[in-house]
Amino acid sequence: MTIVDRLLTALRRLLRPEPVPPLLDPEELQRLFTVRYRCFRELLAANTNTLEAMAELEKALRDGRTLSMTFIRARCTLATVNVYKIVHNLNKIAEGRYSELERIFSRLQQSIETILEGNKGRADGEPLLLLERIGRAQADLTGEKMANLGEAGSLAGIRIPPGFALTAVATRLFFQRNQLYPKINHIIQQLHIADLADLHHKSAAIQKMIRACPLPPELESLLFTHFDQLVATMPGCRVAVRSSALGEDLGQASFAGLYHTELDVSRDTLAEAYKAVLASKYTPRAISYRLAKGFRHEETEMCVGFLAMIEAAVSGVCYTRSIGGQNTTMDLFFAPGGAKGIVDGTRSTGHLLVERTTPHRIVHRLEPADAAGAWLNDAQALALSEIGMRLEDHFGAPQDIEWTIDPVGTIFVLQSRPISASAFHAPGTATLTRDDERIVLHGGVTGCAGTGCGPVWIVRTADDMLRFPKRAVLVVKHPLPEWAPLLKQAAALVAETGSEAGHLATLSREFSLPSLLALDRATEALTNGEIITVDAANRAIYRGRVEELLHGPSLRHNPMDGSPVQQTLINVLKLISPLNLTDPASPDFHASRCRTLHDITRFCHEKSVLEMFEFGKRYRFDKGAAKRLQDNLPLEWWVIDLGEGFVPGYDVRREEVAIDDIACTPMQAIWQGMHAMPWEGPPAAGLRTMVSFLFQSALQDGLDPSRTKALQEKNYFLISQKYCNLSVHLGYHYAMIEAMLGDRPGDRYITFRFKGGAAGEDQRVRRIELLAEVLEHFGYRIDRIGDALTARVERESERFVVDRLKVLGYLTIHTRQLDMVMAEDGAERFFRDKFILEIGNMLNHE
Amino acid sequence: MSEQTFKLEAALKIHLLLVDDEPEFKEVMHKHLSRMGIRLSVSECCLDALGTLEAHTVDVVIMDMNMPGMDGIQCLKKVKERWPLIEVIILTGHASVKSGIEGMESGAFDYCLKPIDVRELIEKIELAAQKALINQEDNAAL
Repeated sequence: MTIVDRLLTALRRLLRPEPVPPLLDPEELQRLFTVRYRCFRELLAANTNTLEAMAELEKALRDGRTLSMTFIRARCTLATVNVYKIVHNLNKIAEGRYSELERIFSRLQQSIETILEGNKGRADGEPLLLLERIGRAQADLTGEKMANLGEAGSLAGIRIPPGFALTAVATRLFFQRNQLYPKINHIIQQLHIADLADLHHKSAAIQKMIRACPLPPELESLLFTHFDQLVATMPGCRVAVRSSALGEDLGQASFAGLYHTELDVSRDTLAEAYKAVLASKYTPRAISYRLAKGFRHEETEMCVGFLAMIEAAVSGVCYTRSIGGQNTTMDLFFAPGGAKGIVDGTRSTGHLLVERTTPHRIVHRLEPADAAGAWLNDAQALALSEIGMRLEDHFGAPQDIEWTIDPVGTIFVLQSRPISASAFHAPGTATLTRDDERIVLHGGVTGCAGTGCGPVWIVRTADDMLRFPKRAVLVVKHPLPEWAPLLKQAAALVAETGSEAGHLATLSREFSLPSLLALDRATEALTNGEIITVDAANRAIYRGRVEELLHGPSLRHNPMDGSPVQQTLINVLKLISPLNLTDPASPDFHASRCRTLHDITRFCHEKSVLEMFEFGKRYRFDKGAAKRLQDNLPLEWWVIDLGEGFVPGYDVRREEVAIDDIACTPMQAIWQGMHAMPWEGPPAAGLRTMVSFLFQSALQDGLDPSRTKALQEKNYFLISQKYCNLSVHLGYHYAMIEAMLGDRPGDRYITFRFKGGAAGEDQRVRRIELLAEVLEHFGYRIDRIGDALTARVERESERFVVDRLKVLGYLTIHTRQLDMVMAEDGAERFFRDKFILEIGNMLNHE
Repeated sequence: MSEQTFKLEAALKIHLLLVDDEPEFKEVMHKHLSRMGIRLSVSECCLDALGTLEAHTVDVVIMDMNMPGMDGIQCLKKVKERWPLIEVIILTGHASVKSGIEGMESGAFDYCLKPIDVRELIEKIELAAQKALINQEDNAAL
């Protein structure tokens, strides 16, 4: 070596100092790889599970379908547990280099738990309260119904029956003493709400369980003592045992008729009636209603009122604002005897429409033909109207009042509650027939429902992305997170692959952008610039602008709106769903920037692939462990088995291995691509190019064409049965291929990296452009920075991945030493056409 | 993927212990796993399971967290402490982030929610079996 050579070598080392990786023996290398490989697989599986759980939560919120806390808690738990696994496995793969994530995850986990646990501020107080001591301030103890009734009784001129209430404290005492909460939660968690038979079966099981439990002695004693005191003031009196659940006023839900009421209860059946009302919290209709309206079972504690029965001459209901929609009148419905038949609709009733303002003129009277005389006289109607308006004034909203009048004409109010809001907008979505001739494409899966219209813009490359026209329909082959910045500008999203669990689908829901995924042939069937209408909900794409789809009512009322369960979901999703880390090339793509579970998932996925890819770089291995591959290419190929990479029966003592001894599917595919067409040798270069090339070679390590070393560089395949990592020094180029071909879509990917080469910057960039064009043509996703190229294929079918590995095999051989001719005019186009043609033939011939 | 086409290799080599007190669930699991050729034992509670583990070689345990007697997490910790090579899949009918993470931190292989998706559970059993067999190989190599 000359002094100049030595100086150049020393200079190169100074400029590119690299730590020397540890040298490992084959067993140690295999063990390390096995551990990483297993962690990587677990990470990928956990990644998929997390995204699925996340997508289910987001979809539930968007769809406005019935949500239960069981569903939310289950999906949040799955997402959190799987993110734990992701972080844990990444740190195992990367030997703890991302320990910062554990702290970030732990904080998120605790915040999620706090939201899911909900309102723990349960009111403390007496297990029993006399009705006369109950007002709105006791609503957290006695439930809305008893609190309102007690409050009404405190108003001048309004009478209520005497009585008392067993509060939420008593209910908790009963449930806790009998260990009912965990047993009930266990059953509710396993409920298939859509399966009515299951609902009835489980509802009956819970109610039976509650009714079978004894009252705690102190509670039983309290109940009977107060009943006896009531009877002492009203000899022979019986009671109505009525439900009064906590939180019934939330979300403007009525809960009318939902729970059980027992009338004419005597001392003998008092305890049974109490338990029957407690159990009625779990009737099928009550469970369904809470689910539909978004109430949390655990926060809807049942309290129970015990009201002295009033002998009823006539009873009824008053709506202080007419439910028929007239703002100036109120309704009085009535019938002789008790009110039960009126509220459950089993009896014929009379109806008065009365003006809300004094003197409360009756504007309409309707009584059944069988009514013998007026059931309710004008004076009673007037008195009831005054009571109704007094209650409305006091409670500040139109009231739904149950009342009864005893034989001597005294009016008793039995219940007063706000009239529930019923703002419901019919969906009225226009639908077109399937055979509409304007349909261009049909099928796929809905990522986010809705319709959007605009010109098609197919995005395959970063350049396409930059030229994206505002309000265009974004059409992509794969719904990758990279396209996220376009979502705010797009009218709709269409992708050939993907599912509602993907990152972009998640984001489309976040932006309420209509999206249609897994729509086969979208990028082929649609042309840039043509106007289309995307109907994501009905999974159809129409040519042109379809007005009838675009002008239908777009917002459907959601009965869950504003409910506690929906609010819980919204709050918890803020910690789970938003994706802030979208660009791996950004300096913000860092562990410390992870603010949601989605961020952690995305970050870990990216880093895990990188860590696996660098496995071959991070460790040196004993070259003696490698088997030389028998082949006729003018290159040396060596194979290191990382586990099950050789066929059973291969004699590991041999120094050589034949391609037939290889059990690794990805390696076999690459090898087939390498050998599909004969290599014609380096292309002839012009004089100008050769001079430039020689100059560059003098500056770069291992690129001196006068030495044979470059062509004799050993190239190593690190293989297992389904995994292949190839470091290849193809003459003047340096390439790495990593591929996994597992059974699950998440376990199938190819990453190809290519960098370096001789010749000047221009030629290198042109060669990269050539490679990028060919790889993009065959469905690779490309990232390019200068003369460095990364190409990826992910989550495709096994056949697709095998074919794309063949493409890489072909290119690694046939792009060798192309630098030298890339300066020639027309070279890039010539080779691009040649490669595409030959690769196409190669794939078609199999 | 149907159950019939699911690739089971590791799961067929292992001894699986199911710890659960729900008769219906045990029956369903027994039917599916036996039909697939997986060797299965069943215990009613944690104490019973610990006895089975003392008496037999078990590779994978599926354990409900809510059983009479010992708390599921305590049971899991005991199993992993005494038999670290065993992989444990925990089941619960009452999902909670806290118990899920506690389970994972205590060494569970995975966490499943009831009502169970049998196909999903069988897939997890296969993965746990693979890991248990590797644990044993690694241990034998030491």
